[in-house]
Amino acid sequence: MTRCLLISLGLLFLVSCGSYPKRNGFQREALQPSIENLYFSNETKDYVYKANIEVYGKTFGGLFIVKKLGDNKHRVAFTTEMGNKLFDFSFENEEFSVNYILEELDRKMFINILRDDFWVLLKSPMEVEDVYGQNNFHIFETMLDRHSHFYFFENEQLKKVVRAKGGKGKVDFLFEDTEGPTARQIQIIHHNIKLKINLKSIK
Amino acid sequence: MRNLLYILFFVVGTVQAQTKMTSAEANALKEKVKALALTTNSIVSDFTQYKHMDFLSEDIVTKGNMAFKSPDLLKWAYEEPFKYQVIFKNETLYIDDEGKKSNVDLGSNKMFKELNALIVKSVKGDMFDDQAFDISYFKVDHHDEVYFAPKDTRFSKFIKTFQITFNEQGDVVQVKMVEPSGDYTKIVFSNKVLNAPLDDKMFAH
Repeated sequence: MTRCLLISLGLLFLVSCGSYPKRNGFQREALQPSIENLYFSNETKDYVYKANIEVYGKTFGGLFIVKKLGDNKHRVAFTTEMGNKLFDFSFENEEFSVNYILEELDRKMFINILRDDFWVLLKSPMEVEDVYGQNNFHIFETMLDRHSHFYFFENEQLKKVVRAKGGKGKVDFLFEDTEGPTARQIQIIHHNIKLKINLKSIK
Repeated sequence: MRNLLYILFFVVGTVQAQTKMTSAEANALKEKVKALALTTNSIVSDFTQYKHMDFLSEDIVTKGNMAFKSPDLLKWAYEEPFKYQVIFKNETLYIDDEGKKSNVDLGSNKMFKELNALIVKSVKGDMFDDQAFDISYFKVDHHDEVYFAPKDTRFSKFIKTFQITFNEQGDVVQVKMVEPSGDYTKIVFSNKVLNAPLDDKMFAH
């Protein structure tokens, strides 16, 4: 029920970003300086997800692999189930670099989409621009790469991030089957292009 | 000083563990593997796959089973920690990804076709093609190891060497595919049975 509420909230509030929380009984709260996304924050852990990517009607799978290597430093790789590496990226502070990408996938637009999506999964802490709250729900507005990102927390647990452009939701990041710093399932759903990434933890 | 001795011992030990074969030994191995491959009509085996990436703390371990039927039917099925199956059949890959079925037509892509043929060949270890690979032969402990380095740059971009380990019978016990970065995928076979009668239904999709 609460998840449905969060999702519908996410879809609706973007009609007029900041005003929606207020109209729906969400009160502006005292600003806290930052929020944390802990889902890829443990340096001792190898994060491995079985991935399923649906892009323009085609589906392909593989393994999505993330390792935190230090403060604001992550490595993100994708392999097929049989172990062939498709891409391998490094994220450090605001810097992004491609260590490897299969020639067939080496398209600037594709790389930029993945880079922007993975930033959202990895970036923490985030500076907060505005906060709304009601009971156990809190919505934090942040800026990432010049775009508003709304972080939805339920009982202190990050459940969803929405990237908004021009007052509309462009990408949803859903964290499901969550417990503390663990999200066993993650969905990235694009609304302006036919791209959906589904990640299921296997390690 | 003592540390230096340990290091020297270790280095010497490593060198001794892997020695290059003489050309007579290499030829003997090649003949043995080819003879076994010729008489192998089917293979069923369990496998454990280790994906090694330098930046990870541990290898990613997946397990499953495979079945091969001569001349070119191959089923590769992962059981843990997820279910994923690929059947190589008639220039097509039939994929079953946890119930989601799809297929990839290799017919139109020469490179994929060749890669597919290579995978089928590596299962039997019969990759002794001097035109396609720089081949080196080693003895490692009680096993024989052959490194196949693709000459074609389209392949060498993905795989620097296929390192195949053979047992005394000339049968493949391990395949290691090393990428140019040094990261690798290692597949270790277990409970391998040769020439058991296999029904084509096993490769239905």
